[in-house]
Amino acid sequence: MFSDCTRESGGRFPAAFLYCCTMRLSHITTQFSRFLGVAVALAGTVLLSGCFWLDGPQSTFDPNGPVARRQMDLFYTTCWVSLFIFVVVGAVLAYAMIKFRARGEADEHAEPPEQAHGNPLVEISLIGASVLALVIIAIPTLSGIWYSYDVPVADKADAYEITATGYQWWFKFDYTSETAQTLDASGKTINAPFTTANELVIPAGRPIRIALRTVDVIHSFWIPKLAGKVDMMPNRANHLWLKADKPGYYWGQCAEFCGESHAVMRFRVIALAPMEFNDWVNNQMAPARKVAAVAAADTAKAKAQFADYRTFKRNEAGYSSAFDASPLDGWRAQQVAPASGENPELIQKGRALFAQKTCSSCHTIRGDGYIGVVGPELTHVGARSTIAAGLLENTRDQLHRWIHAPNEVKPGNTMWVAGYLANGIKLTPEDEDALVNYLQSLK
Amino acid sequence: MEALAKSDFIAKGETAAKPLVLWRPTAKTGLMSWLTTVDHKKIGFLYGISALFFFIFGGFEALLIRVQLAVPNNTFLTSAQYSEMFTMHGTTMIFLVVMPMGAAFFNFIMPLQIGARDVAFPRLNAFSFWTFAVGAVILNLGWFMKDGAPDAGWFGYAPLTTRHFSPTHAIDMWVMGLQLLGVASIAAALNFIVTIINMRAPGMTMMRLPVFTWMTLFTSFLIVLSFPAITIALVEIMMDRLFGTNFFEVSNGGLPILWQHLFWIFGHPEVYILILPAMGIISEILPTFSRKPLFGYPIVVFSGASIGFLGFGVWSHHMFTTGMGTTATAAFALMTMAIAVPTGVKIFNWIGTLWKGHLTMRTPMIFAIGFLWMFMIGGLSGVMHSAAPSDAEQHGSYFIVAHFHYVLIGGSLFALFSGIHYWFPLMFGRRVSEFWGKTSFWFIFIGFNVTFFPMHFLGMEGMPRRTFTYDGDMGWNLGNLTATIGAFILAIGVAIYFVTMIYTFFKGEKTTKDPWDARTLEWSLPNPPPEYNFRVIPTVHARDGWWYEKRHKAEIEKEQAEHAKEDEAHGGIHMPYQSIYPFLASVGIFIGALGVAVIDPANTAQYPGFWGPKVAVTILGGAIMFVSVLLWALEGNDGYHIHLNEDGTIKSEDHHAGH
Amino acid sequence: MSSTAAAGAIDHHHDSTTVTGIPNKKLLMWAFLASDCMFFGCLISTHLIYRLHPPPGTPNARDVFSIELTSFSTFILLMSSLMMALAVNSIQKGNLKSLRWSLLTTILFGLIFLGCQVYEFRNFVFEKHLTITNSILGTTFFTLTGTHGLHVLIGVIWLTIMLLYSFTGRLTEKDAIDVESMGLYWHFVDIVWIVIFTAVYLLEYI
Repeated sequence: MFSDCTRESGGRFPAAFLYCCTMRLSHITTQFSRFLGVAVALAGTVLLSGCFWLDGPQSTFDPNGPVARRQMDLFYTTCWVSLFIFVVVGAVLAYAMIKFRARGEADEHAEPPEQAHGNPLVEISLIGASVLALVIIAIPTLSGIWYSYDVPVADKADAYEITATGYQWWFKFDYTSETAQTLDASGKTINAPFTTANELVIPAGRPIRIALRTVDVIHSFWIPKLAGKVDMMPNRANHLWLKADKPGYYWGQCAEFCGESHAVMRFRVIALAPMEFNDWVNNQMAPARKVAAVAAADTAKAKAQFADYRTFKRNEAGYSSAFDASPLDGWRAQQVAPASGENPELIQKGRALFAQKTCSSCHTIRGDGYIGVVGPELTHVGARSTIAAGLLENTRDQLHRWIHAPNEVKPGNTMWVAGYLANGIKLTPEDEDALVNYLQSLK
Repeated sequence: MEALAKSDFIAKGETAAKPLVLWRPTAKTGLMSWLTTVDHKKIGFLYGISALFFFIFGGFEALLIRVQLAVPNNTFLTSAQYSEMFTMHGTTMIFLVVMPMGAAFFNFIMPLQIGARDVAFPRLNAFSFWTFAVGAVILNLGWFMKDGAPDAGWFGYAPLTTRHFSPTHAIDMWVMGLQLLGVASIAAALNFIVTIINMRAPGMTMMRLPVFTWMTLFTSFLIVLSFPAITIALVEIMMDRLFGTNFFEVSNGGLPILWQHLFWIFGHPEVYILILPAMGIISEILPTFSRKPLFGYPIVVFSGASIGFLGFGVWSHHMFTTGMGTTATAAFALMTMAIAVPTGVKIFNWIGTLWKGHLTMRTPMIFAIGFLWMFMIGGLSGVMHSAAPSDAEQHGSYFIVAHFHYVLIGGSLFALFSGIHYWFPLMFGRRVSEFWGKTSFWFIFIGFNVTFFPMHFLGMEGMPRRTFTYDGDMGWNLGNLTATIGAFILAIGVAIYFVTMIYTFFKGEKTTKDPWDARTLEWSLPNPPPEYNFRVIPTVHARDGWWYEKRHKAEIEKEQAEHAKEDEAHGGIHMPYQSIYPFLASVGIFIGALGVAVIDPANTAQYPGFWGPKVAVTILGGAIMFVSVLLWALEGNDGYHIHLNEDGTIKSEDHHAGH
Repeated sequence: MSSTAAAGAIDHHHDSTTVTGIPNKKLLMWAFLASDCMFFGCLISTHLIYRLHPPPGTPNARDVFSIELTSFSTFILLMSSLMMALAVNSIQKGNLKSLRWSLLTTILFGLIFLGCQVYEFRNFVFEKHLTITNSILGTTFFTLTGTHGLHVLIGVIWLTIMLLYSFTGRLTEKDAIDVESMGLYWHFVDIVWIVIFTAVYLLEYI
């Protein structure tokens, strides 16, 4: 991660620190006050250590699309102008502090200096200079406002449209230009845009125009590496656009306080090459996967399976370091069904439990007849790399952790409050086991 | 001078009708003296003490926040507790610390600076304080109730604050508490406006006003004009919660964006309400310790005015991510850049003040220079936010948290701390130890920077604010841990500061009059100032009135002796009577507010119509308030006269005038 | 309400000794009214914003309002301002008798206005089925006009107390400023009503 500091995208910033530090070091050498000395040492340490964090998964220093890049470039402009002003004004201030400082008691009680009241010429030229500095910022700001607002006209025809909807505390994504067979409320088969949740899969290299909606409170849709945030406001049709330069796996998060679990309302964006994206779309349009019964399922083993689940501490991380190392590969691995080890009997039991335990009143699983719309749609949940709104890696253990005690991972969530608590849902270890097997099979 | 001559005590004796005889509290010590005081210095002291109390409270909340965030996936606080912490930390620090601390200085210092013996409406002043206290209590009541404290963030965006998403009384208390604080602030601000415009000493023209007084005036205007917006927003959300109206009810067409507009039309001027007093304090301290006048006084004053004015036109830069559209965004971006100019001008002028000065590095000066550095950083990161597209990445992230803490701690709080050090000798006649003052400064300064500088990076690294937990693989661990360590250094600094202050209050070294060789009129008074402030109302001959007096001693002494004689001939110094009614009115408001915000609506089966404990308590509170205000009006604004000895001690009190 | 002068020698009992010559109470009232302008400004804006964004099913304001009644009560309120001005004039001349009649008429006109508003509210709620909860129009309309009604009510109470006080013999022309600042308040409430009448009622008939 450290070496990434020098990467093209993040590389300019550390240079700024060094420049700044040198400027400040020169102050020390000229015997400037300890005031400044401490400030320099301090700021230097903090700035340099800052260099080590510039490449996190949500770092805006590493833009991966034109919108984020434009925003970052503007940030650098403002940053340079500000640093310049800070250094110049700071140097004058520091000089004044040292030069005009009273030395010793006697000096303090000496005759006061000339009682000068100011100099209009200096004032006016300084005002002029500040206006000039602001103009430097204003021009790219204005062009940036128009650029980041909507897809450029030339690319409009190519834009791929998606609707993102905020819920407390997860995101729903409607692929409005695709359709899949599903059931309506009366049980009739209809064609409708297919829906997924918490993992936004987009074609790389194509502008994406995302309509932003919310069903409850205000959320804010933010994928730092692709584009700045835009709020999801009730009774307001907002949108944003972005483009991913290349295939990749990106982190996103709700950026407007939206209640108890705001901090864990996260999501992922997976940008794929066009062909791979098409494959994904085709898979999404298909109904839920069924696992064919194999002869003589090992029932004894099936019963014991839940004992494998490890228990989690409340503060344990939701990810393995293996996943972190190459998340896109992790995501791809989720797309394929395992060659063996699936237990059709348990899966069948899980499918039945899904209705018995009222899961189906909130979740849709196309093909299995479940049409709930309150919670995330789960038709292909097994193929996602994360669950619980980007909070946990989609492994059997973590899935078990989630359905076992949702409130521990996501305080106040609807599944717990309006599902488990309100309906008095109790899951036995065997139930949990069956449900995990069922959901994992939905590739 | 003419004004002095016009004192009309003589006419008073001839008044035919006698005022109503109501109880006049006269206690000079003990609890009753504080409850009934109308002395602006005592009220200022009350404001200051409350602010410092809540500062400790809010600081403690901040430490809990930092402990929770020290390591990833921490479970020190639950999510719900964390929400309460950051909501109350923000609300407390803004409304219960920085604003009342400003009000403390307005009360204590401003009348002294303009050569007045009190504010224009002393009882209204007391009412402002008590209503503030009542609002503060309501706001914090939730900590002691099962409903918990308010938890929707300090700007409480609807519809999260509607009954559907926040069903408990926590939000009711937040709404009610802020409304009361609004009433208190507006009442106080009206008072200051009238005082500054109408009660200046002879010769104290507007362009001779000390800059702190100017900033008091601007702040007061901002309060008077901006608080109505939040009050109406709060009334609307209160109506939604109490009566089921549709202001922010999304399913019936309510527009939550309206809340944001109303809130920030208040909220942005509020930012200047928090920083202008600080700028005023700095503009007093820098000249004093540079031993030369403020550089470009008229420009500093006018830049203050233009900050106040432009401050009403930039509110939507808090809403760059709400999808306002390009034109509105561009307009507000440019306005925001424009407001940087007068702010920058102030910094230039402060540096100009230091230039060729004779800098005496006493503790207040150290804090003031610390302010300059920190405010510069905060101001510049503010300019960076005016670039709307890049703000889309920074908005709602820790970058913003860093920015406004640089402005509010590095700016407001450093200046207020500096002001406490500066005026402490005047207020209490004791002087704070230089060693401990500077030690606390360095702890605060270093702790502050270690806490908040890394937050710039956390924000740029994509960490959203108001998140109670984060994953260990986001690259935020080091920054957060550093910030937490910094917070504790800062806390140690603040602790040293407070212990030093408390020690000095009781045992500090006694100091002489005008220990800093200052420039403005308040320093012409003995310390602590007597209750009547000025033995003789001063006549102001120059901008830095006291500086002038010190250099024209003989002339001024002669003039004052004349005026003292005239004053005595007119019946001595007029003092307002104390009054209990402002306090009682606030008690009434408190009871009424409890009824509205805290008591559950009646179970309809039990009581006829809408009558129930909620309505009954509300009406009871309203009635107490009404009666108190009525008696307050009827008791009249009488006072008594005091006659002084040569040395300023009270020779006699003359009570017949009031009856 | 009358703590004006209680401060210092230069501002001694009589407001005429203030630096600007403007009595403290008058300045206070002006500053307060500036603040009150913002209060009403925000409420009127709320109403107008929601008028521009009516959700489906919002009743047509024209079907609800009865402009004749409101025009009448507007006229009455305007007349009350005239009477208020006469009251101020009377007290300045020390004519208590005239003051009492003027105050009484002002109070009566204020009460007529309030009566009309109560009738209007009842009519809207029970006949026209516009309530504070059932539509956004009801919400903003009742809140805005209700807030104004509250201002009138406070004014009427204040006037009544002043009227009663005039019988105690303590009200002299020296206290004209008390009546005058009350008058400022009353005129302001009147002017605000004209704005509300235009923005809420007349606008619907353009």
